[in-house]
Amino acid sequence: MTAEVQTKMRLPQLSSDKQLTFIKLAVLSMAAILSFATRLFSVLRFESVIHEFDPYFNYRTTRYLTEEGFYNFHNWFDDRAWYPLGRIIGGTIYPGLMVTSATLYNVMQFLNITIDIRNVCVFLAPFFSSLTTIVTYLLTKELKDEGAGLVAACMIAIVPGYISRSVAGSYDNEGIAIFCMLLTYYFWIKAVNTGTILWATMTALAYFYMVSSWGGYVFLINLIPLHVLALMLLGRFSARVYVAYSTLYCVGTILSMQISFVGFQPVQSSEHMLALGTFGLCQLYAFTQYLRQHLSPANFELLFKALLTTLLATLGTAAAVLTVTGKISPWTGRFYSLLDPSYAKNHIPIIASVSEHQPTSWSSFYFDLQVLVFLFPAGLYFCFSKLTDANIFIILYGVLSIYFAGVMVRLMLVLAPVMCIVSGVAASSLLSLHVKDIEPKVEKHEKKKKHENNMVFRSEVGALFVMVLGCLLVSYVFHCTWVTSEAYSSPSIVLSARAHDGARIIFDDFREAYTWLKMNTPEDSKVMSWWDYGYQITAMANRTVIVDNNTWNNTHISRVGQAMASTEDRAYEIMRELDVDYVLVIFGGLVGYSSDDINKFLWMVRIGGSTERGAHIREADYYTPSGEFRVDADGSSTLLNCLMYKMSYYKFGLVYTEGGRPPGYDRVRGAEIGNKDFNLDVLEEAYTTEHWLVRIYKVKPLPNRGM
Amino acid sequence: MVLPAMAKIRLSFIFYLYIIVKCESINVDTISSDIRFKNVDRTIDISSQLVKITSRITLENIGGTPAKNFLLAVEDHAKNSVAFFGAKDSNNKEIRLVETTVKGYDYVRFWRAELKEPVNAGASATITVESVFTKTLQPYPTAITQQEDQLIKYVGNLFSYSPYYVVSQKTNVVVNTKNVESFTKVKPFSQQDGSIQYGAYANTKPFSEKELVIHYKNNSPFLTVTRVERLIEVSHWGNIAVEEVIEIEHTGAKLKGPFSRYDYQQDHHSGPASVRSYKTLLPASASDVYYRDTNGNISTSNMKVKKDSVELDLRPRYPLFGGWRTHYTLGYNVPSYEYLYQSGNEYLLKMRVIDHIYDDMQVDELVTKIILPEGSTNIKLNLPYAVTRLPDSLHYTYLDTKGRPVISFLKKNIVENHIQDFQLRYTFPRLLMLQEPLLVVGFLYALFLCVIIYVRLDFSIHKADHHHKD
Repeated sequence: MTAEVQTKMRLPQLSSDKQLTFIKLAVLSMAAILSFATRLFSVLRFESVIHEFDPYFNYRTTRYLTEEGFYNFHNWFDDRAWYPLGRIIGGTIYPGLMVTSATLYNVMQFLNITIDIRNVCVFLAPFFSSLTTIVTYLLTKELKDEGAGLVAACMIAIVPGYISRSVAGSYDNEGIAIFCMLLTYYFWIKAVNTGTILWATMTALAYFYMVSSWGGYVFLINLIPLHVLALMLLGRFSARVYVAYSTLYCVGTILSMQISFVGFQPVQSSEHMLALGTFGLCQLYAFTQYLRQHLSPANFELLFKALLTTLLATLGTAAAVLTVTGKISPWTGRFYSLLDPSYAKNHIPIIASVSEHQPTSWSSFYFDLQVLVFLFPAGLYFCFSKLTDANIFIILYGVLSIYFAGVMVRLMLVLAPVMCIVSGVAASSLLSLHVKDIEPKVEKHEKKKKHENNMVFRSEVGALFVMVLGCLLVSYVFHCTWVTSEAYSSPSIVLSARAHDGARIIFDDFREAYTWLKMNTPEDSKVMSWWDYGYQITAMANRTVIVDNNTWNNTHISRVGQAMASTEDRAYEIMRELDVDYVLVIFGGLVGYSSDDINKFLWMVRIGGSTERGAHIREADYYTPSGEFRVDADGSSTLLNCLMYKMSYYKFGLVYTEGGRPPGYDRVRGAEIGNKDFNLDVLEEAYTTEHWLVRIYKVKPLPNRGM
Repeated sequence: MVLPAMAKIRLSFIFYLYIIVKCESINVDTISSDIRFKNVDRTIDISSQLVKITSRITLENIGGTPAKNFLLAVEDHAKNSVAFFGAKDSNNKEIRLVETTVKGYDYVRFWRAELKEPVNAGASATITVESVFTKTLQPYPTAITQQEDQLIKYVGNLFSYSPYYVVSQKTNVVVNTKNVESFTKVKPFSQQDGSIQYGAYANTKPFSEKELVIHYKNNSPFLTVTRVERLIEVSHWGNIAVEEVIEIEHTGAKLKGPFSRYDYQQDHHSGPASVRSYKTLLPASASDVYYRDTNGNISTSNMKVKKDSVELDLRPRYPLFGGWRTHYTLGYNVPSYEYLYQSGNEYLLKMRVIDHIYDDMQVDELVTKIILPEGSTNIKLNLPYAVTRLPDSLHYTYLDTKGRPVISFLKKNIVENHIQDFQLRYTFPRLLMLQEPLLVVGFLYALFLCVIIYVRLDFSIHKADHHHKD
């Protein structure tokens, strides 16, 4: 009672304008805080730790940057990876992420806020999603109004499609890239709406930040020209758009070429040609409009036709010549697979082997977006119903990203923000439409709306609709929290399971193995493992690896695949050739961890057999005559005697894993292993972790002569 | 004019002080012929990784004048592995020991024991001398497989090493095992389970040495802490944070050949020389304990709160076999009222130089750092034994402006006997406590002021434009 009275007493003192500002500020800051807080599940459940694989590389490079400074980082030749080739880190990464966290770290150190660099890295993605929430508000505000902005901000704060890549600890490029992307869009819309060089330059700067942080900038640099093209086609091209795009393209391209990994791609690679072409077209269009003003229609017609044919001809030949001579680089495989989902599967096994490059299933759309899937079309309708330059942009963005998200699971990330924005527009429009009906005030304007008010139960229908939408939004909140908590908040470096009595068991085998490698092997040992674990080994064990997650050299990976798929003798030759000291395999058969190396083994065979030197490795040899992949006694003998099989199952044939099962029962494959009694000739078990998840073998030196 | 003179006086004073200190450290003593040891009862405990020698000496003054002090000695081959050397009288009171030299015996390490009550002519006194040696027990063979027991070779002196004539002496070697491969046999001797007795030997001359070799099974943990960095951060808001960064190595017989997890899990007697876990005792008031390494939290540990301590059962990420190393960080908080005493602006901090890490621990190198609150002055450090003082430094953390003073010192070769308190006195004006809250208040005030100014005042240059639009 008293509290109510108090608020009633206090609120009128503020003008309604201020009240509105206050409410907006409150909603927005709460959304920003929520987006940070909801990403902390894994930190609270486990600890402040870096997740997955790629983030470990980013973490390692960030540490290097803070310790060694920018120039050493830029010139860093990493001899810990891709032995014996090494890798030039400075020139082969997008440094935006590392520079961002190193800057944050240094600023905080300067202010005597002694936060560990690891914690900066862990909390960077949640922090940037808070910023994304605010940018989404600004962007949607530009598109529609403040109400829609607030709804969109609240939605993006908890949308699982975005959370999946930005939980605390998932320290990856995407964490900040989405922020950069939306910021660029916001500035772009601003630039298009105002036509000032200031906003266009801001767009270019935001674009530069985006380029520096994620390879996905290609999407952005194709989307904006597409927007310009669409505006041209719709006859909406104006001086504003001309100023905005010309400035953005010139400044943005020059800036983006400063990133050494991008280099001359913006003017050479075909992925950037749309932007270049549109830039040219803009100039022509503007020029023709200028000419049209000064020439008679007949003369103009003649000049226009002549110019157009010559231009098209020259451009066409130039493009052809440059492509043939290789100046315009061919389209990369990852990009092809965007346009043709089956491309990668047929041509590049290394791209197809990554689960996040697989096409998206329908269920994962619902899983990651829930109610947004249904609100999106409604939002598109509202966008279409009041078409502006900005709305055209968001329609284009929405439709394109839906297509791309359907091609690759990973690109769900690009779709999620536009889903939120468009759904925000939808929800806000629908609500404002129907909330009006419920309010009794409407009756005051009876005169004006008399003819509209012919619907019976108008306020009841309105109330019902608001209730339904409210329920949907509430269910969205519950769904998002549930998904975040269950699906996206496990660090994957630490696994947990429930024991029979409900107590939590933690499988900390990965760190156990990496720490063992770090402390108990010589500093210069070379570790061979499948490329998935390369980044983790270099970051946590500080040992040299043969291949890692930066899959730039297919033949090298293929060589490792061949070693894993060969018999011990042949593998020994390859291991001697690669100077390997230790071999690391992941084995989940004891505890039932399904993403282990035996389950990935077919990819090793495929990739191993994809090069010339691995021609003797044929996938068919590893299947049973009936075409099955089996590890039990019926499995093919090639499989049962290859190095990977032996390393995974060494001494496993003696272990009782489940009651009522014979010894050597593999809990992942659900079968008793076929080859139990064997010894290793060229390897010796160096270490196996507590739950057998990681097994490390030492490569024996050549036997002494005459033995 | 005045200042240089003052400086000169101060300099010369420091110089004299230096000379005095220098003189004291180079003591020269002579071996008195008036003293002899009537009886020495020696126990050599080699059942852990340390060699602990306890001697009960009955000292006799056969001269004419009361003896105020006497000398204790350690033989040449053992003198560098002495970690601790102490003596007590019959009332169990500490006897002050001063390291000294004797002309003609440069290779021997001497201590002069200064008795509180002189031993009168013809009288005798009983003294207990306790010494701990590290790195004396050598694994032999130096590398073993996973299933094998660890065999240790101890090489020592059959006689109690003394600068005086010893009338009668006995030695009891505790090995705590029946598995003794070989041992020196000098009659009279006897072997009972777990120990070997030598003696009594009569009338041994000063500085007698005879090799004593015992080769026996010793599976007790051979863990060496190669380095500890102990950080004590004092806060006047009621908390003292302690953090220890520890590097441990198994210095027993090295692991030869493969490590088989199957054997290790199947058979609990497998890997007898390996260390699965050990216990660390923390102060009873310790809270918020964390146990982690550079890769994150180490999830394999248990904590038991006992009446007088907190017992941590620390399990490294992997069992430690010979030659394997690990490292971790252990940290906890203790309330400051238990360790910090105050009177006005004067403070006294009383804490341990090093704390318990595991039983029978041996530490190669310890660096203790004490971080005092910002603004502490007049810092005086009192230590129970000699250490190397490292230069003071400053530490910057949250809300610091001029930095917190850091006192640090280094000590090598440490055993459990060194778990003793240091005392640190300093002055801290209590008003300085307000500095940090005021800093926050000031910052927020400035921030709000800026926002108010920004919102209330119009900074735009082109006001005219605005009017046009309206």
